[in-house]
Amino acid sequence: MAGSARVAAATLITALLATACSQGSATRTEEPAAGGKVTLRYFTFSAAPDHVKDLDTIVAAFEKENPTVDVQVETAPYDQYFTKLQTSIAGQTAPDTFELNYENFVTYAGAGSLLDLGAAGGDTDTSGYATESLNAFKHDGKQFALPASFSTVVLLYNKDLFEKAGVPLPTADWTWADEQAAAEKLTDKGAKVYGDFQPVTFFEFYKALKQAGGEFMSGGKSTFNSPQGVKAAKWLVDKVGKTMPTEAEIGGTADFDTNLFKSGKLAMWHNGIWQFAGLKDVPFEWDVVVEPGDSQKASAVFHNSVAASATTKHPREAYAWAKFLSSSNVAATTRIASSWELPPVSDQAVLQGYLKDPVPANRQAVFDSLKSIALPPVIARQQEMQDAVTQELTEAAAGRKSVEEALTEAASKVDALLG
Amino acid sequence: MTLTETPPKAPARQPVRPPRKRLRYALTVAVFLLPSAVPLLLFTLIPMAGSLWTSLHEWNLITPMKWVGLDNYARLLASEETRAAFGHTLYFIAGYLPLVYAGGLGLAMLLNRAMRGRDVFRAIYFLPVVTSWVVVALLWKWLLNPASGIVNWAIGLIGLEGPGWWTDPGWAMPSIILASAWKDLGFVMIILLAGLQAIPKEYVEAARVDGANAWQRFRRITLPLLSPSTFFVVVISLINGFQVFDQVHVMTGGGPAGATQVVVEQVYNLTFKYGRAGEASALSWLLFAVVLVVTLIQVRGQRRWVNYG
Amino acid sequence: MAKAGKYVVVVLGALVMLFPFAWAVITSLTPSGAVLQTPPDFTPDGAGLGAYERLLETMPFWRIMFNSLWIAVASTVFQLVTSSMAAYAFARLPFPGRGALFAVYLATLMVPLQVLVVPLFIEMRTFNLTDTYFAVLAPTIASAFGVFLLRQAVQQVPKEFDEAAVLDGAGHFRIFALVVLPLIRPALATFAVFGFMASWNSYLWPLVIIRSPEFMTLPLGLANLHGQFTTEWNVVMAGSVVSVVPILVLYLFAQKHVIASVAQSGLK
Repeated sequence: MAGSARVAAATLITALLATACSQGSATRTEEPAAGGKVTLRYFTFSAAPDHVKDLDTIVAAFEKENPTVDVQVETAPYDQYFTKLQTSIAGQTAPDTFELNYENFVTYAGAGSLLDLGAAGGDTDTSGYATESLNAFKHDGKQFALPASFSTVVLLYNKDLFEKAGVPLPTADWTWADEQAAAEKLTDKGAKVYGDFQPVTFFEFYKALKQAGGEFMSGGKSTFNSPQGVKAAKWLVDKVGKTMPTEAEIGGTADFDTNLFKSGKLAMWHNGIWQFAGLKDVPFEWDVVVEPGDSQKASAVFHNSVAASATTKHPREAYAWAKFLSSSNVAATTRIASSWELPPVSDQAVLQGYLKDPVPANRQAVFDSLKSIALPPVIARQQEMQDAVTQELTEAAAGRKSVEEALTEAASKVDALLG
Repeated sequence: MTLTETPPKAPARQPVRPPRKRLRYALTVAVFLLPSAVPLLLFTLIPMAGSLWTSLHEWNLITPMKWVGLDNYARLLASEETRAAFGHTLYFIAGYLPLVYAGGLGLAMLLNRAMRGRDVFRAIYFLPVVTSWVVVALLWKWLLNPASGIVNWAIGLIGLEGPGWWTDPGWAMPSIILASAWKDLGFVMIILLAGLQAIPKEYVEAARVDGANAWQRFRRITLPLLSPSTFFVVVISLINGFQVFDQVHVMTGGGPAGATQVVVEQVYNLTFKYGRAGEASALSWLLFAVVLVVTLIQVRGQRRWVNYG
Repeated sequence: MAKAGKYVVVVLGALVMLFPFAWAVITSLTPSGAVLQTPPDFTPDGAGLGAYERLLETMPFWRIMFNSLWIAVASTVFQLVTSSMAAYAFARLPFPGRGALFAVYLATLMVPLQVLVVPLFIEMRTFNLTDTYFAVLAPTIASAFGVFLLRQAVQQVPKEFDEAAVLDGAGHFRIFALVVLPLIRPALATFAVFGFMASWNSYLWPLVIIRSPEFMTLPLGLANLHGQFTTEWNVVMAGSVVSVVPILVLYLFAQKHVIASVAQSGLK
């Protein structure tokens, strides 16, 4: 992702635009009888409610270059997106192209619902993409989706609270021990100030596990019920009630952690870069740093991709749109300008735009966090696995089970799902 | 299976009619029934058949169905989760139904009489019925917040320590019951009010003249004459109660520790989250069997206590 | 004394019922970020109509309102007609197998919607009806709930009324329209409110069947306010407040013009 890539990227983008254009004209010659346009449906969860206009900008640019294609955008909230997508696939009315997050990608690729974009595109030049991102969406060696955007999780912290408590600010070299020591000093239950907030969920666990040097699964069996797994689970669970509010205190209040941080009563917050926009006006100084690790660093990355339906009647247009949406200059700069996650492009010059925004000061940490990433384990029965692990960890956090019992139980559930 | 709820006064058999008149009568019946029967057939019964078919397959919605015969049923019947889901659903009904009926009846009686601002009060009591569960769930979770909710604060005033409510597996279902009864009071009230309106005032007046006190009038006149509405409320509340979903989904999502995992929450997860649509359909048909039996028992039993005019 | 006591009970109860709505209204007037605190801040700084403005700008609000309204009105009218006719048949027209047929009607209420949605979608697809107004409306043309509710009401109408009409030579259609319907107006009004509400709040089916933004209904629009990672709760609350208004208006109308008129006529 460095050095010579910059030069390569410039040529690539030109090549890319050329490809997109030529496909547009290819379509025109292919369907002369229709004379009109090809309508290409695109279904998305990440555009609504805040980025519909940004998506429109990208669509307009694409249609300008591909006058024969009319991209028709359909949106649904993330919670219900997959209900709708599954039903439309069951009813054979799948959208031509649609968004998929990394965790659900394997399920759809494995089910044969996705078009092999590598074959459909007929071009193999993928140097415009960050390699890790591109590889994340390969299945059985085929490119079933193109990475469209990503977000990472970092440690957000309230500078004022640190300075008031006389605790040194977090650095990129911090480990769990440093974080814990600071969190204990920063927690002031009398004033309802908490040192730390990290949700007890599957997503935090698989990452903490990697930070502790463990592995979630290997060879078709779970391997997280290990000393590293216990360490990772304890790291999460032991915060609850000590340096972090309990479930009862959180009390199901929507966006409890967001409001806690915004009201200046939370010193450290493990959360995604999508929170930056909402923190513009807070009346205190804050910054970010790469999450502390244990035996190693590992940062969570949430990836969204664009895939095409295996049954689409317009594979070439679908490919052109997928490629445009994921790696065109317009798409990349639009995303960066509107903080709509980050584009997974290899062109560092484009990404530099992200660093221009002065708050938080250490935006570089977002890119640094990519040096060592933890991708979630994915299996065909993904959602069941996530729910099972989260539920068992919650049991441990509530004190109804020991961490060891919870992990044993979670491991046997996950093995059943793998079997 | 017959559900004939022949009202006491109706003739038990049809008078014998000449053929032409019979045809005309049959046509009349058809005209009254077809406008509802055809849409129900097309848009409910056919999908029901579809789900019955699905229940015999393994299907994740995105790959072709795979025939498994009765395996889904066998697996569900043997599973601990199914038993737990039905248990939680029954627990919900046992708490919810008495609360909502008694409350709704009380309200209907209070608001059936002339009083200042009666219409406004009726509308206010109806407000929770029309407010979305998303809002109501947030509110109740906040009211019943174990650490800072108003309810536990009030309990604290009398020197006791409030429970963990919906964060505690033992108290989660009571929390949902409480919120549900509160929300649906107005629903029961409006149906019973319509029933009360239909009771001829002269009956109650006559009883008053005969020297019956308020309780006797309620017990002997109002309650029996209200029995068709009561029957309706009980049957519908049971049918809906077995399919309780919205409030569970938004308040606890089946937690904590699966303590509120009711049947339809399970059905929803299996269909749309876990890609096990076949099992979800099978589970729905098990639920159907239970609801049908319960409803038939009520319909059979109604002759003993439901009084049609 | 007893009367005053009752009044106190009714007023206290009303306050308890009013609370969530008041809370939703207040939250909707609160600037985003300051909402849903514990304890809540009932006198927030910078209160305003920002959330309502946001509601108007994030979605084609009026188009959505129009869709929801007309679908709900059409579905209510359909249900009133189809249900009241069936109710009359089930209460007044004996025929062989009537009980069994009524059981089938009731049975349509007993399978959870969650498993019917996919087969129904596939059915609509084979009729080529997905993404149409008709498809949204179709499952609410007839309502077994309504048939049951109205059948109970028809059964409460004293038989002597229709017998008198029969002596006058009236057929079933005239008895239904001129005798029975006016007498079950309270039940019709009640059902109109429920039928409207069911369509107005309907979520899962429209979600699945609609894909063009121009057919979108209010619950879908409101659900779109929930992002993948964050939610603007004040806008959600504003949407909820707005969504309650039409049903409440309908309820007040039904109560004033139908229930009250029956009570005053002294007929029943």
